[in-house]
Amino acid sequence: MKNIVSIIFIALLLTACEKTIDLKYKDNLSRIIIEGNITNEAGPYYVKITKSIKLTETGTYPTIDDAVVTISDDAGNSETLSTLGNGTYRTNLLTGVEGRTYTLTVQAENQTYTAQSTMPQHVPFDSIRIETDIITGETEYSVIPVYTDPFAKGNNYRFVLWINNKLINQHFVQNDEVRNGAANSVRLEINDDDIEFKQGDSISLQMQCIDKNVALYYRTLALISDSGPGGGATPNNPPNNISNGALGIFSAYTVEQKSKSLP
Amino acid sequence: MKEGNNKDYQVSGGLGLISSRLLVEGPIQKDKSSFMISGRRTYADLFAKLSSDMKDVKLYFYDLNAKANWAINSKNKLYFSGYFGKDVFSVSSLFGSDWGNATATLRWNSLLSSKLFSNTSFIYSNYDFNVGFKTDASEMNFNSHIKDLNLKQDFTWYANARNTLRIGFNVIQHTVTPTKAEGTDIVNNKRSRKGLENAVYVSNSWKASDVINIDYGLRFSFYNVLGGNTYNIYKNNQLIDSIKLANGKFGKNYYNLEPRISASYSLNNTAAIKIGYARNTQNLHLMSNSTGGSPTDAWIGNSYNIKPEVADQFSIGFSKNLHNNAFELNTETYYKTMQHQIDYRDGADINTVPDIESELLFGKGRAYGIEILLRKKKGNLTGWVGYTLSKTERQINGINKGQWYNAKQDRTHDLSIVGIYTLSPRWTLSGTFIYTTGNAVTFPTGKYVLNNMVIYQYGTRNADRMPATHRLDISATYERPARKNWQSSWSFGLYNVYGRRNPFAITFKENKDNPQKIDAVQTSLFQWVPSITYNFKF
Repeated sequence: MKNIVSIIFIALLLTACEKTIDLKYKDNLSRIIIEGNITNEAGPYYVKITKSIKLTETGTYPTIDDAVVTISDDAGNSETLSTLGNGTYRTNLLTGVEGRTYTLTVQAENQTYTAQSTMPQHVPFDSIRIETDIITGETEYSVIPVYTDPFAKGNNYRFVLWINNKLINQHFVQNDEVRNGAANSVRLEINDDDIEFKQGDSISLQMQCIDKNVALYYRTLALISDSGPGGGATPNNPPNNISNGALGIFSAYTVEQKSKSLP
Repeated sequence: MKEGNNKDYQVSGGLGLISSRLLVEGPIQKDKSSFMISGRRTYADLFAKLSSDMKDVKLYFYDLNAKANWAINSKNKLYFSGYFGKDVFSVSSLFGSDWGNATATLRWNSLLSSKLFSNTSFIYSNYDFNVGFKTDASEMNFNSHIKDLNLKQDFTWYANARNTLRIGFNVIQHTVTPTKAEGTDIVNNKRSRKGLENAVYVSNSWKASDVINIDYGLRFSFYNVLGGNTYNIYKNNQLIDSIKLANGKFGKNYYNLEPRISASYSLNNTAAIKIGYARNTQNLHLMSNSTGGSPTDAWIGNSYNIKPEVADQFSIGFSKNLHNNAFELNTETYYKTMQHQIDYRDGADINTVPDIESELLFGKGRAYGIEILLRKKKGNLTGWVGYTLSKTERQINGINKGQWYNAKQDRTHDLSIVGIYTLSPRWTLSGTFIYTTGNAVTFPTGKYVLNNMVIYQYGTRNADRMPATHRLDISATYERPARKNWQSSWSFGLYNVYGRRNPFAITFKENKDNPQKIDAVQTSLFQWVPSITYNFKF
């Protein structure tokens, strides 16, 4: 074992190589995908209904345009969303309010799907802190969202990152399980294998306060894509808050965004 | 491994491009006691340091082996052996990892009478694994170890010409620390757990007739979960109870009876058939994630949720010597059923969860296969061809809708061909070819877009395969004419002759030029590795 391990590292250093390969994939079952968002900013809010495609396909994603989509809240409001086409549905009256629980109902292809999400209380996003390290001659950047976790336990945060206005397809979730009530000093675990940070790059970071189920969904996605030491998760479709086997997520969240240039 | 030479001092070794070794052996008291010490060291980092990016890199492997034996008198002998090995890989103070393995064995062999032998052994072993990362913002350490203390007592009684009895016991204390992460980003305080693995056994090798041999025995194994930790009890992955077990206290106990019997029947002078049944239990369990990413196997001991794995194996074999013993053929087929198999639940958090047991599911397994080994033992060309065709599956409620699925280690084909050709008294050529089916893993099958991000869709657990691993290695050895006491030889080798890029990990990425397209990117380790070694002995 130990010999193999040392050989592996020798090899990684001296001769490891990467290449794109062709794999034989198993058939994919096309599933319905529901994406719903309600925020504490002014509406309208959107729900998108699409279908999954095979991993190897490069075409467009099929959309469902004849669904009946309703959203209600626990304050007695309810509305049916307008169809905009291209799988998109829009609210007209609904407002996102912290502390309220929203229920999404989608009737599509003779099936009914329901989902619930509660908008947490807003936690202010103070600033973005950037730290640098020199590792084997290269500058490595750490991105730390600065906020103070409130005293009550059970807060979950999701971060969406753009570099030079390009959305980074990675999932960042933090919670207060270990450091409840503390000012955050934990960096985002950015996989920078394929991202080259440069001095002067503009970083935009959106902080979302999300509920427990939404956090579990994004945390599982982050774990599945994590290939670090001891890391990762069993690959699977992450547990979500939508019934009846639909994939996707319905999230009611608060939102705040900051930008900064890399020093 | 060989014992030290108890007549003369001897030194042997090898000097190579990336590693060297040295062995010294000799008598302590002539004809009564001897010792042997050997060591190896690789120095790949000397090459790494030639590149300016790598000057802070440490990368080496070394091991030390020591053996000694002492004949106390004509009836008692003591043997000692020790092993210590370590791998170190670090990049200045930012990243470091090391693997260490240490074992020590003390064995006392005693002839109690002309027919009764006793062997008493104390064995210590420790396997350690550490990885650390450090930046200004955070610090992380992963660490895992297994430490065993083992006492073995075995009596062999040559009762008569037809019966050889063995009786004995074995006590092992395991200390298992699961992969423990500590740092500013995560704190998962996984503490080590102790367990006592005990067994008493009796067996008899009975020569029933000139053509029939029957071996049979019974082993009673019992395992005690030991205190010093809190054990959680889960039902459907929900915590239902927590047991705080004080240090030194005995917790849950598991008892198993393991019968075994095998019979061989000689059909004639050159052929025999053998049938057997055996039950085995296993108390340390290997947990493997089913991604195509970097391997993350970890060990865990029995607990309140994790029961000993029990396997019942039935086998039937046939062996034959051919062409006047120039060839030997062995075949065996087997069927195995397994209870208390373990796997991670869907979406299990392997890295940061406080108690990995909350992420486990349990079920049963089965394995079957056929093994064929043909060996050529005479002539200038010797070697063997070995082939195994097999299947290993699990059925666990909650995984793959309760349907049977491939275990990660399921290996359909496993072929090895080894040939050694003596060209002349000085030159020997050898070649090895291996082919194995890739691990069963879970790749994505589909994709969708959610909030402008592409997300993968997964289907059945372990329904996919890593590409097969295959490789040819060749080597040539030239024995130099001996000069006085100095014997020496040169070995030239080439690993992976045809440069096969064997898979180490596969990850999925958006294509840089066309983000609509998903690429499967395979990481491979070394393609070709040449080696030259100078071996000596004096």
